[in-house]
Amino acid sequence: MCERLGRKSVKICENQEAERCCGSCLGLRKKTGYTFANCKKALEMSNNDLAKAEQWLKEQAQALGWSKATKLEGRATAQGLVGLALKNNTGVMVEVNCETDFVARNKTFTSLVEMVAASCFKQVHALKDPHTIGQLTLDSSELKSLPGPDKAPLGDHMALAISSVGENLSLRRALIVTVPKDIFITGYTHPSPDKISAKVMTGKYSALVAYTTRSEGPNTHQVARQLCQHVVGMNPSKVGVAGADEPAENVDDETVMIHQDFLLDPSTTVGQLMEASSLDVLQFWRFECGEDLKPQELSPAEPSLASQAG
Amino acid sequence: MATLATTRLLCFSAVPRQVTRRLICISAPHKILNKASRLTKYRAPAITLNYRYYAAPSEKKVFQRTKPHCNVGTIGHVDHGKTTLTAAITKVLADKQLAKAKGYAEIDNAPEEKARGITINVAHIEYQTDVRHYGHTDCPGHADYIKNMITGAAQMDGGILVVAATDGAMPQTREHLLLAKQIGINHIVVFINKVDAADQEMIDLVEMEIRELMSEMGFDGDNLPVIKGSALSALEGKNPEIGSKAIFELLEAVDKYIPTPTRELDKPFLLPVENVYSIPGRGTVVTGRLERGVVKKGNEVEFLGFNKAFKTTVTGIEMFHQILDEAQAGDQLGALIRGTKRDEIRRGMVMCKPGSIKAEDHVKSQVYLLTKEEGGRNKPLVPYMQMQMFSRTWDCAVQVNIPAKEMVMPGEDSALILKLLKPMVLEKGQRFTLRIGSMTVGTGVVTEVLATLNEKEREMLLDSKKKREKALAAAK
Repeated sequence: MCERLGRKSVKICENQEAERCCGSCLGLRKKTGYTFANCKKALEMSNNDLAKAEQWLKEQAQALGWSKATKLEGRATAQGLVGLALKNNTGVMVEVNCETDFVARNKTFTSLVEMVAASCFKQVHALKDPHTIGQLTLDSSELKSLPGPDKAPLGDHMALAISSVGENLSLRRALIVTVPKDIFITGYTHPSPDKISAKVMTGKYSALVAYTTRSEGPNTHQVARQLCQHVVGMNPSKVGVAGADEPAENVDDETVMIHQDFLLDPSTTVGQLMEASSLDVLQFWRFECGEDLKPQELSPAEPSLASQAG
Repeated sequence: MATLATTRLLCFSAVPRQVTRRLICISAPHKILNKASRLTKYRAPAITLNYRYYAAPSEKKVFQRTKPHCNVGTIGHVDHGKTTLTAAITKVLADKQLAKAKGYAEIDNAPEEKARGITINVAHIEYQTDVRHYGHTDCPGHADYIKNMITGAAQMDGGILVVAATDGAMPQTREHLLLAKQIGINHIVVFINKVDAADQEMIDLVEMEIRELMSEMGFDGDNLPVIKGSALSALEGKNPEIGSKAIFELLEAVDKYIPTPTRELDKPFLLPVENVYSIPGRGTVVTGRLERGVVKKGNEVEFLGFNKAFKTTVTGIEMFHQILDEAQAGDQLGALIRGTKRDEIRRGMVMCKPGSIKAEDHVKSQVYLLTKEEGGRNKPLVPYMQMQMFSRTWDCAVQVNIPAKEMVMPGEDSALILKLLKPMVLEKGQRFTLRIGSMTVGTGVVTEVLATLNEKEREMLLDSKKKREKALAAAK
């Protein structure tokens, strides 16, 4: 590869001096990913010293990122990803937006989503009530000031990503849920990522489900995960209580989860399935990338929550 | 006359109004037919239906088919000047009377287009160079390009990748090139834009980098044309050296590098059968629109579909009650078939050049699921669902399998593997719709033909969920 590039640069650059400059500029660009214009400027500033130039670029990156971010501010961000992470008794869902779905598929962007989700875990201490399901929602400005992995706020990391992909990005929302010891929590994202084992799963839709089991069978947790998939696919409005919530006349319009036909087997309802697998869904949360936010979704814990969690 | 009299009598009673209408419907073609039979050699009732093709000529300008047609599209980062380039192309060609100049806003705010009931954000622009006529597509997102591919509003034969000299390749340029691969674009011309804002050295570096990236992504990076210029200069009519001259250079590269697609007319002929009639004393007539190629009287033809395949000869072709020596792609025709009974052929079969196409029952496809607003379902698609597949003039039950995903949500596109209960005439690039009951669920295009199902696999298509799970567990 080096040989090929070398050959080409000979063709392009007339003299030795220029050739060396070409090569180092390309090298710097390869290593850091900053634009050619900036790499060139850095080399000029540091008198063709690669190490110094890299140092300068890193120092400048933050400022450049913010200036780019300010420039692109106001452009609509309708695409993006939701990220979901689970650890012990905590679940986190975040939504990060961008302008085109090309960027949403890019690695630079997915790593940003992963970082945002991971950083939210550190906020769990705000929810230290071991007896109820605790939930915390964060809006865009709260997320921006949240400290990232290197203590710098997430807003700075977002600005860096903006200068890298050249599109406006926004940290839209985050949700942190913790459950007591006797309650389980599981999650699902769609489209499911290639490697399920990843710490943070990303997709266009995500769901968290908090549930209890009466007797644990071999498939119980598998069923719980399928119920998360059901929440993503069928978009129920609430879990519902048998007896209190009447099933809708037309089964296609059903919005109460327990009366809905189970997504993966329409011959049974979710209520019947929960009964058969000795599992009770207490609450669920669903994110859809780009959906309109209803005001109550951003409000803190619903009053019904505590009683349901019992 | 007798029928008309009866009709009038019947009209007084409310109940058989339906019957009356049907009578009128039936009586009309007979009258036409009688007239027609004086002109034609044999009576073919189906051919009389083609009267509607005699519609009054429209007042629009007549499209002159003097140059071969080719579809291209622009891909690239949002800020690198895709839209400016497209506007500049129309501008410089308009100066030569080869296009209608389009403003930036006209292309950028492309109205949502409805193709086959699907909403796509896309701009379609038409222009021509000295050698070819072009359809130019510009979409904002990945999903829009996929939808465009599926509905086939304009299949792209080649692409123009726009890269700004100031930024070089972006991280997401990889995704742009992956998309190009996915929608079947193998020929890409690179345009390095905004050269007025960069120096020569930087431009050379960008070229080097993009060639390397293209090679890495499986394109012919070393040899594909890379043109440098400034679309904005061309649009504003400044610096002709990097402005209009560069645009002409780009168009010349597109002319040369992107191959002209095979015209439908030059392909082996194919006619999806719409109707079959038996004409006493003459034989069997099939009607339909010739999809591609040229069919002549005396040609050997093959009928395929519904597990049947047999060869015979066309002994006559008619269009608009007139005898044709040869029918061309696009013609609505009736063909007289030698030695074949009416019930041997049915709607949904195809009449084709022997050996040019096969019946298949196992294909990979790219499908877009309609949202509820577009008339689709509000539920996702899950594996093993049974649906009805409609393509050309046939329909058949299929089982849907989803590779790489657990389900497909409405409004999403996805690769689907379709297993047909019966082999039907299918080929790569064929478009179809999927329906459940009376509801259209999705529309798609065949991307790959897979190995034909064996007897056991075909039996499994009809198995219940329990039986299937048992079989899967046993296989493990």
